[in-house]
Amino acid sequence: MILTGNEIKKQVSESNIKISDFSNERINPNSYNYRLGKELKIFTGTDSLGNQIFEEVTIPEEGFVLEPGAMYLGVTEEVIGSSKYAMSLIGRSSLGRYGLFLQVSANLGHTTSCHRWTLEIYACKKIKVYPLMNIGQVSFWDNYGEVTCFGKTYANFNLPTETVEK
Amino acid sequence: MILTGNKISEEISNERICIEPFQMDQITTNSYDLRLGNKYLVYTQDVIDTKQPPTYEEKEIPDDGLVMKAGDFILGHSEEIIGSNHYVPLIHAKSGTARMGLFVHVTADLIDIGSIGNSTFQLYATLPVKIFKGMLIAQVTFWVPEGKIDLYQGKYQHSRGPQPSRTYLDHVT
Repeated sequence: MILTGNEIKKQVSESNIKISDFSNERINPNSYNYRLGKELKIFTGTDSLGNQIFEEVTIPEEGFVLEPGAMYLGVTEEVIGSSKYAMSLIGRSSLGRYGLFLQVSANLGHTTSCHRWTLEIYACKKIKVYPLMNIGQVSFWDNYGEVTCFGKTYANFNLPTETVEK
Repeated sequence: MILTGNKISEEISNERICIEPFQMDQITTNSYDLRLGNKYLVYTQDVIDTKQPPTYEEKEIPDDGLVMKAGDFILGHSEEIIGSNHYVPLIHAKSGTARMGLFVHVTADLIDIGSIGNSTFQLYATLPVKIFKGMLIAQVTFWVPEGKIDLYQGKYQHSRGPQPSRTYLDHVT
C-alpha cells in the first residue's frame, strides 16, 4: 500500500519516516515534495581509462540552465529515509511536463536508507532551474516480509555521487 | 497492493474509479489501456525558465499520424478522463510503446488521489517513431492507499487536453 499525505505526516511524527526541514506545505495527497539542493555535478567526459568524469558546480540564486543531451547529478536538499517503508523518488509532474528527467529509471529508495538522495537529471529541452525549488516527490510504500538491510552503498553519501560500480 | 483488471472493472461499476469512455476490451490483467488523444503541445521558447509561464503551440495529430524524430519532446494526452477518490493511479507506457523507444512520461508516473481529468503524456522519442490518435499508447494501474485521504485540489485538476507545466505558480506566494 502507498501512504497518503496524512499518513506520511503521522509517520514522520512517530519517527518511522525521516524528512529534514519537514513542512506541511510540501505534503501532497500521496507524496511529499522535495527540493533541489544547490550542489550539482556535470558530466564532462571520460579519462584515458574510460572512467566518467564529473565536474562540481554550485547552482547560483539566479538559476542554472541545463542543456539537453547532457547528464547531471543533483541532490535532494532534504535528508529522506525510513526504516519501515520503501520509497519511490520521482520528479514533479510540472518538471516532467518540461521534459526534465529527475531519475533515469532508478526510482526505488530502499528501506533503511536515510540521506540526501542523488538525482540523475537529464533535460530534453534547455531549462533553467533554481536552488531549493520544489523539484520532485517521494512516496512511501508498505513492505511485505521481514526487512533486512543487505548493505548500503549510495546511502552513505549526502552529496551528488556518481556511480561506484567498477 | 495493486488492483487486478477485474477489480478495476468492478470499481468502475461502483463509481470508485473514473474512466470515461470505458471499454471492457481495454482492461488488462493489472491495468487499463489508455488511448492517445488528438491534441498535442510543443514548447516554442529556446530556454524554458521554471519561474516564468511557458510559451507553446497547441496542434492536432494528423489522421495519417505524426512522426516524432529522435530527441523530440511533446505533450500529448489521454483520450480518457481518469482518476479515483479511493485509489492512487500510476501511468506507464504500454510495453509495445516503450519497445519503439517512446517514453510516455519522463519522470512523473504518480497521480494524486482525487485528481480527475485527461492525463498529460510527456512524450519523448529516443528513436524516430510515428504515433496515431486513438492508438493504445499507455496504461494506468491503481494502488490501494493507507491512511486518511485528502483529495487533490491542485493546479491541474479537471484537465482537458494536454496541459503545459505551471511550475511558475510554485514561485508565487
